[in-house]
Parts: sequence; C-alpha cells; structure tokens
Amino acid sequence: MAYTSFAFLLFLAVVVLFYYIIPKRFQWVILLLASYAFYLTSGVKQVAFIIATTVVTYVAGLLMQKKRDAYKKELEQLGSDITKEQKRAMKKAVGAKVHTIQVLAVLINLGILAVIKYANFVIENLNGLFTAFKWDASIPLVNIIVPLGISFYTFQTLGYLIDVGRGKYDAERHFGRLALFVSFFPSIVQGPINRYDDLGAQFKAPHKFDYTTVKFGVQLMLWGLFKKLVIADRVYPMVSAIFSSSPTEHSGGVFLLGMLAYALQIYTDFSGGIDIARGAAQTLGINLPQNFERPYFSQSVAEYWRRWHASLGGFMRDYVFYPVMLSKFVTKISKSFRGKGWKKAAKLVPSVITPFVVFFLIGIWHGASWQYVAFGLYNAIIVAGSVALDGVFKKGLELCHINTEAGSWKFFKMVRTFFVLGIAKMLVKGTGLKASLAMIGRMFTDPDFGLFLGMGGKIYEFGVDQKNMTVLLIAVLVLLTVSILQEKGMKMRETISRQNLLFRWLLYIGIIVVILVFGVYGPAYDATAFIYQAY
Amino acid sequence: MEKVLEILTRVRSDIDFENEKALVDDSVLDSFDIVGIVSELAMEFDIDISIDDMTAENFNSAQAIYEMVERILDED
Repeated sequence: MAYTSFAFLLFLAVVVLFYYIIPKRFQWVILLLASYAFYLTSGVKQVAFIIATTVVTYVAGLLMQKKRDAYKKELEQLGSDITKEQKRAMKKAVGAKVHTIQVLAVLINLGILAVIKYANFVIENLNGLFTAFKWDASIPLVNIIVPLGISFYTFQTLGYLIDVGRGKYDAERHFGRLALFVSFFPSIVQGPINRYDDLGAQFKAPHKFDYTTVKFGVQLMLWGLFKKLVIADRVYPMVSAIFSSSPTEHSGGVFLLGMLAYALQIYTDFSGGIDIARGAAQTLGINLPQNFERPYFSQSVAEYWRRWHASLGGFMRDYVFYPVMLSKFVTKISKSFRGKGWKKAAKLVPSVITPFVVFFLIGIWHGASWQYVAFGLYNAIIVAGSVALDGVFKKGLELCHINTEAGSWKFFKMVRTFFVLGIAKMLVKGTGLKASLAMIGRMFTDPDFGLFLGMGGKIYEFGVDQKNMTVLLIAVLVLLTVSILQEKGMKMRETISRQNLLFRWLLYIGIIVVILVFGVYGPAYDATAFIYQAY
Repeated sequence: MEKVLEILTRVRSDIDFENEKALVDDSVLDSFDIVGIVSELAMEFDIDISIDDMTAENFNSAQAIYEMVERILDED
C-alpha cells in the first residue's frame, strides 16, 4: 500500500479513529495490528523475515538483560566485601558474555539483510571472476523478493541490540511492544531510522486526541504529497530519459540538466516520503525524528550528511564512526604516530580513516553495486580530505584575503557543495560506473549552456513538456520560498495557524486542489515507487 | 578543569565552553569536533576513552567532559 494512495489515507483514518476511542493502555496494540496489516499488504511470505528478525532481537535483548541483572544483583550482595580489581574483573566477565550475545544477534540480523540484498551482487562478481580466469563455472542468481523496509527495520534492531548491550537502556520485556518498534507502519517503508529509547517510550505513553497535533500531522502529510506527487513524479521522466541514455548521445548540458533534475527528484521524493511518514505518525501523537534539514543549503559535504537522511547519519555516527574511531586498530596507529613525535598526524588519523569505513557502508547500504562503492569512496575522500587539509585551506584563504563571513562566500560554498554532491549522485545514476563517469566528464568538456536558455526547445524533449515545465518551475519556487523561510527560523505550521480562518482554509483547499490537479497520476507513472523504498 | 578548557578551545576556538551547556544536544559540536576532543584528551591525560563513554551527556559541557576524564582516571 503506497503512502501516496487513497487506500493509505483511508487506512490511516480508520487507525486514527480506533486509536483515540479505545482505552489508552491498548493504543499500542492498535498500532501493532495496523503495522502488521500494513506489512501484509506488501506480501504474506515476506512477513516471515520481519518476524525472524524481531524474535532474534527480542531473545538477545532479554538474554543480555538477564546477564546484566545477575551481575548487578551479585554486586549488591557482595556490598563492600569486594576489591576494585574484583569488581573490574566481574564487569569484564559480564561484558564479554553480553558482547557474545550481541555479536551473534547482530550477525544473524545483518546476515539476513546481507543475503537478501547482496547475494546476487556477490554471485555476479564471482561469475565475472570465473569468466576472467576462463573457468567453466557459473553460479545461478537467486530470486529473492526483498521484504519491505528490510534495511530500515534491520538497522533499528541493530541500534537496539547495541544500546542494550552497552547498557544504555533496559531490554524490552514485552514481545508485542518490541514487534511494534520493529514494524511501526509510518516509518517501515523508508524510515526515518528510529531509536528505541525515543520511540519505545512514546508507545508506552497514553495519547489523548489533540486537534492541533492531528492537524499539524495532516498538514505535514499534505506538504509531503505536494513534494512527491507534484515535483518528484513530474521530474521523474526527465531523469529517467537522460540517465538511461548513452553518454555519447547528448551534450554535457543535457547531463547537467539531468544532474539538476535528479537532485530535485531525489530530494523531493525522499523528503516528501518522510514528511508523509512523520505526518502520519503525528496524527497518532507520535513524533518521528526529523530526517531532513534543507540539506541543499549546506556549506560543506560533512554538513550535508548531517542534514540529509540524518537518522542514517546519526546511526552511522553512534554505531560505526565512534566505535571505529575508538577501535584498537585506529588507536594503535594513532599511538604509534604519537610515539614517533608526529603529533598532528596522530590527531588526524581517526578523522581520516573513519570516513572511509562510514561512507563505504553508506554506499553499499544504498545498493549492491560498484557504483555505490564509488559513491561512498568519493564522499569519503572529500570529507577526509577536507579534514586533513583544513589547515592548508585556512592559510590559503588568509593569503587570498577572503572574508569567510561574507554572504557571497557562503553562497559560493553552498553552490560548490551542491555540485560536488550532484556529481556524487550522478555516479550511481548512469547505466553503469563507466557511463556515469563519461556523463560527468561530458559536463565539463561540452557544457552547452544554450540548452538552459530554451534554445530550440530542446529542454522539453526529455519527458517534461513546456506546460509541465511551467508547473514544475512554479512548484520549485514555492518549495524554495518555504525552505528559505524555514532556514530563517520560521515554523510554517505555527505561522499558518496564527492566520485568519478564511486564509487558512483557502490555503488548505488550495494545496489539496494543487495536489489533485497537478499531482502526477495515471498508468504511465505506476513505476514511481519511493526511491528509498528500494534501499 | 583548566586543561580540559584549554583542549576544547584548541579544537574549537569559536565556542564559549565555559557557558555552553548543550554542546551535543544543540549540535554546537559535530562528530569531527568530538573526534578531535577525544584524541586530544587521550593524548593529554593518557587515558583510553571507551565507546560506552561516547554519550551526549558526557560531552554536553566542559564540566561533563572534565567529570568523565576524572572518572576514567579514577577507574584506572
């Protein structure tokens, strides 16, 4: 059931109705039933995967909790009859047991994800190797249907297992509540990636019907539908036409157009989907984390990754970045540099090594292909490079007398970051890595700016005609205006609620009409499932 | 405490570490700043900061960072 479908709106309305009329202590049960009902609409067989992951997570959580509780009890019983060394040894022993359970559970959950997502990628590469060495062998590809939201719910369970293992919070003792955390329907399709201490607590709290909260939720959903149906799906044919072509087929200007179109599509598609998810959750009184903070206004690649898909960034920071940075491997290198008197290098080691691990994982999380590996590597080189060369850049700016506080400089940095990341997006968009690189190359060797001036109407030849282009430009202008206002600190929904009744309703009706009239529907557009749904 | 403040200012000279109380919660520091602070602390005090110490509460203020260092030194 797509979030953009009428069926989903109807489904949500029924859930909201039951949710607020039944006794508050059963509200989470309604959410669990609704989440599984929603999941079942994507296929019956796939439910087995999500249940397996939930069971593994639940059992491992309880086992870890049991070990920790036993340790605490023993410590209490011993009271002051214990030396510091004994206490340390006991802590170490329980830590090792918890760690074993944690690693096993993480490996099982990650294993399920890896087999489903990466089996064919590994097989294809092995077959490639066989051919290269002229061995007469070939492994047949496996035909697996990827269960809905597997990347998202698996990551949520990993976060939970690591947090419980670290003793950040207690394990959930109720299987149903944990099952709800794993399957919560507004965020199952494409996130945001939730944390148990946040979402679990919200499921336990009673939720009274509050008109403003529900209204804000509906407004956020409408805004998401506008982004997805009016902008993302309108620009989709252009992206598809340009990037499925051969690099020699068009001028570099066309690929630049493709880059701009894809940047627009992926942002409005993903952030629109997240707005719908967060809005739907808000109608139930549940706050999901903000996943996007107008990322295209970022002034550096590192900042962009804090503002784009922030729940994945936060996940990577807490469960990959910090652990790698503090790992024996990294600290050993750092210490050996320190021993040699290379203080600066010793300090830089963690900041330079860690991005490679994080972005490699971010890359392959998005998809099993060498294009995504290249995407990760490209981002890592830029982020690690800018940290390593920070001093050099600063000196260079001083030498050139550049006022880094000037608005023009900040604007330049914003545009530069947009293009640097636009190129990253192109790496994964061509029909293969070679094609992508050739398209990027053409942008520089054959820019063809005339295309953008509408010369000869060539710009309308890529699936978006003049009429649709006008609608698109107006819609983008609306999006840009709202984004700038938000960037300046305006809270849109609160500002709207302070306006007069007539204006408010005209605005609501206006946006509904715009979505209904200018939203892209129909058989030709059936293919536009949310992009991130596939990740 | 003074040593901690000195380290913090070395990593980010533009922040008022004496008064800032939500360095992580308000995203005043990013993860690279934290990495910088952790490696400086490790070097200066010769301590091993573990992953369990990497919580927002431990890095929200200079005082919290100081207390964490004291605790690790005490545990050693």
